[in-house]
Amino acid sequence: MVKIQDLKQISMLEPMPDHLLALIGKQAQLSIFSTGTCLFKTGEAVDTFYMLIMGQVALTVSLNPDVDVILENIQSGRTFGSSALISSGPAAYTAVCQEPCETITLSGSRMQALFEENHELAFYMMAGVARQYKKTMDSRARMIMKTLALHPEMKDCIHDIEKLTPSY
Amino acid sequence: MVPIDLLKKIQFLADLPDDILEKIGPHARQAVFKPDTILIRQNQEQHLVYMLVSGSISINASSDTGQGLTLDEITPGRSLGVSALLGKFPATFTAVCTDTCDVVVLSADLMQQLFALDHTVGYAVMQRVARLFKDRMNTHTRQFVHALSVHPAINPV
Repeated sequence: MVKIQDLKQISMLEPMPDHLLALIGKQAQLSIFSTGTCLFKTGEAVDTFYMLIMGQVALTVSLNPDVDVILENIQSGRTFGSSALISSGPAAYTAVCQEPCETITLSGSRMQALFEENHELAFYMMAGVARQYKKTMDSRARMIMKTLALHPEMKDCIHDIEKLTPSY
Repeated sequence: MVPIDLLKKIQFLADLPDDILEKIGPHARQAVFKPDTILIRQNQEQHLVYMLVSGSISINASSDTGQGLTLDEITPGRSLGVSALLGKFPATFTAVCTDTCDVVVLSADLMQQLFALDHTVGYAVMQRVARLFKDRMNTHTRQFVHALSVHPAINPV
């Protein structure tokens, strides 16, 4: 059980009405993790959605056996593990606490069951998840575009370059 | 009003149940655009979702340094501007008709009004958008990691 006031610290939940926050609060749990805790690894099935109240979590991928790249440092108010809310697909990155972290967690399978009962909640959550994906997607596309502008010869190395565009 | 059979030809909508498509149809319009018409300008806010029925659309983008890249040629069945359904976002690319284009157009404002009135439609569409964006975000991550792995600074010749 998590209070509505705590949920309001999460930017993805800002547009959500209080009666829906109350429903989420009943499903949510507060958890504290110590520095260095690996919350999940690339390729593992993710069934927990994380909302960070305090601390910092690094999302990393391995470039090669010797080099890990930090894709993003998640800070308070942000969320990760959204795929738990839409599928139980494998994680695309590893999530590691960079400092002591206080999080609100939701079980993906329980939330997906709740979505089938309450489409208003499902709509608000899916819209929030989609907005987050959109921001991350655009940020990654900008990084690739910047790299290609500096090194145009690398365009040939990206075979599915058309997927840089948001066309579906 | 666009008939459900035509909406089913659009990949973005094809998997949605008929009862959802029947509610979207009255909010959609069909339009024909001449060659060289600019449908979307990079950095301008999008208000419309374009779904191509026939013709072709070229997608171009400029990097922060101003260098242009032609990234894609959109073929019938594909959609552009889906993120307008989520709110006001600046476009990340420019879309130009390279041929006479028959297009189904959705007003993002009208769709958002529909979602607010009918959460079942909103959930179905947003779930579809979230899944599409997740797949695309993972593709971008893979492209970014690949670009880094072949980057001259990381792999000097």
